[in-house]
Amino acid sequence: MDKKRVSFLSIFVFLAINVISLSKVIEGFYGKEYGHVYSFMIVALISTGLATIAFFTWRKQEYKS
Amino acid sequence: MTEDRKKNNQSANDQDMMKLVENLNRKEDVNLNRRAFLKASFGTTVALGLATTPFGIISAVRSEKEDSNQVEIASVDELAIGEAKNFNYPTEDEPAVLVRTPDDRYVAYNNKCTHLQCPVFYEKKDNVLLCPCHKGYFDVNNGHPVAGPPQRELPKILLEVKDGKVLAVGREYRHG
Repeated sequence: MDKKRVSFLSIFVFLAINVISLSKVIEGFYGKEYGHVYSFMIVALISTGLATIAFFTWRKQEYKS
Repeated sequence: MTEDRKKNNQSANDQDMMKLVENLNRKEDVNLNRRAFLKASFGTTVALGLATTPFGIISAVRSEKEDSNQVEIASVDELAIGEAKNFNYPTEDEPAVLVRTPDDRYVAYNNKCTHLQCPVFYEKKDNVLLCPCHKGYFDVNNGHPVAGPPQRELPKILLEVKDGKVLAVGREYRHG
C-alpha cells in the first residue's frame, strides 16, 4: 500500500481509538478511578498526535500534483 | 420536413440532458466528497482526543485534594477487637465505618451500600459487613460483596497508624 492510502486509513483507526479512549476516560472519571483517566487520556493524546501526522502526510500526497 | 424533425429531436435530447443534472446540487457536490470526508474525520479525531483533557485536569485537582486530606479517626486503644466505629471521610456527607478485625487489624470503608446506598454495619458474630435493607453482605477484610444484591465493593479508606492514632489518609474506589 502506498503512503497516501496508509495515512488515509490510519486516520479512521485513530478515530476509533479516540472514541474508545474518551468513553474509558468518562467511565474512569465518574467511577473515580483516576489512574484510568490519566492512562486513557495519554492514549488519546498520542493517537491525536499521530492522526495529525497522518493527516499532513496524506494532504502532502493528495495535493502534490 | 425532415429538417424540422431533426431540430425537434435535438431540442428534446437537450432537455433530457438538462433533466439529468437537475437533481445535482453543485454546492453539495463540492462540499461532500472524499477529501472533505477525510478532513471531517480528522477534525472529529482531534476533537475527541482533546475532549479527554478536561477530565484529566479535573481528576488531577480532585485527587490532589483527597491526598492531602488526613483525618484522625480514633486512638489505638479506643476500639477493642471486634468493635467498630462510625466516622465521616473525606467529607462530612460521606459516612464510613472503622473496624478492628478479630485478627487485630484496622480496616475502614465508606459504609453506603453499593446497591441502594443504605448504611452498612459491622456484624461481630459473623465477622461481615451487613446491609440490612436487602441483606447484602460484604467481606470485612477487603470490602467485596459476598452475598445479596450488591455487585461492587465498598470504597476502601486507606489507614495509617501513627503515634497511637488511627488516621484516614486516602480512599480507593476500585481495589482488590
